[in-house]
Amino acid sequence: MAQEWEGELLTRFQLATFLEAVRLYDEGIANAEDIDIAMRAGAGLPMGPFAWADETGLDVILEQLQQLTRAGNPNFAPPESLTDKVARGQLGNKSKRGYLRH
Amino acid sequence: MYIKKVAVVGAGTMGADICYTIAMAGIPVVLRDVSRDQLDNARQHIGELFQGRVARNRMSPADAEDRMSFITFSGDLQDLDGVTLAIEAVTEKMSIKEAVFRELDQVLSPLSMIVSNTSALSISHLATVTSRPTRVAGMHFFYPAHMMKLVEVIAGDQTSAETIETVTRLAEEIRKIPVNVKECPGFVVNRILMASMAEVLRFKEEHQLDAASIDQAITQNKIAPMGPFMLADALGLDVALEVANTLNQALGDRFKPSRELEQLVAEGHLGMKTGQGFYSYR
Repeated sequence: MAQEWEGELLTRFQLATFLEAVRLYDEGIANAEDIDIAMRAGAGLPMGPFAWADETGLDVILEQLQQLTRAGNPNFAPPESLTDKVARGQLGNKSKRGYLRH
Repeated sequence: MYIKKVAVVGAGTMGADICYTIAMAGIPVVLRDVSRDQLDNARQHIGELFQGRVARNRMSPADAEDRMSFITFSGDLQDLDGVTLAIEAVTEKMSIKEAVFRELDQVLSPLSMIVSNTSALSISHLATVTSRPTRVAGMHFFYPAHMMKLVEVIAGDQTSAETIETVTRLAEEIRKIPVNVKECPGFVVNRILMASMAEVLRFKEEHQLDAASIDQAITQNKIAPMGPFMLADALGLDVALEVANTLNQALGDRFKPSRELEQLVAEGHLGMKTGQGFYSYR
């Protein structure tokens, strides 16, 4: 019963959540572990944004961001720390390193 | 520094819930307000919270009474004697908070700390109206404060490491989960929530969807416990718009409030509290 727009909605919601978390991390406002704890305990998310990203795969996320950016949505420009991690082969759970240690 | 006695200034719902949480941990706490009525309401509200625990067999009546006795409801500044940490929880207006900070700075001993429960205003600025800027920090509880576990511990420009350590330890002692945050507009949770809300509002406009379908898709897929539109209605659309505008100015277009949100607020539809927001509650 999933509508055709549902996939796009979920992707954009989760990527927007993740991107803001990355900005906070890149700006040194809080560390990745604390941001995840805050979003679970303070916003009730079942998974912190970094745990979600590491599980999804940072390469997969980078690809989605590039697609949305190409489609003309500048808010989804991939952040530097993400491009860096992917270039270094830190792709999340599957490579045991991402934004969190696994 | 060990905190032996706390003051909570401002006996609204937030202040009362914080006060209850501190008393539950067995720490003496003064709930201060200039309004008798506010104090009476707070006393009743806190009494009900304790009674609720007793009714659920989580606490004996004697224990509840004992914990309640840790609270002094007071409009008298003299009762702040011996307070080593004060939590300001008054209205989110800078001029009012400044007045509270000035007053606390005058009556508390120089080593005592003053923290604000603000979710939006500048801790670094509040610190400047006191003579103890290194002993000022943010201690941001979430609504309802007696249930939500998170506390954002906010360091302003001049906050000392010792202050952060003390506030963090106090948060743990009252059985909260503290996270350390450097000051920025929205701190961590509200900044992330508002970013995702703005994106979902854009999505709604692009696809001409109703709020309920979107909220449902998000909750059914277990991505968040509550859809963003329900959350905005609960928070108050005027509050959501104000926070969105602040974040938009400070951090950029990704926080730009949608035309629909602006329109609802202009029409006086502010969410649950007025009976109409993205949803109708009439």
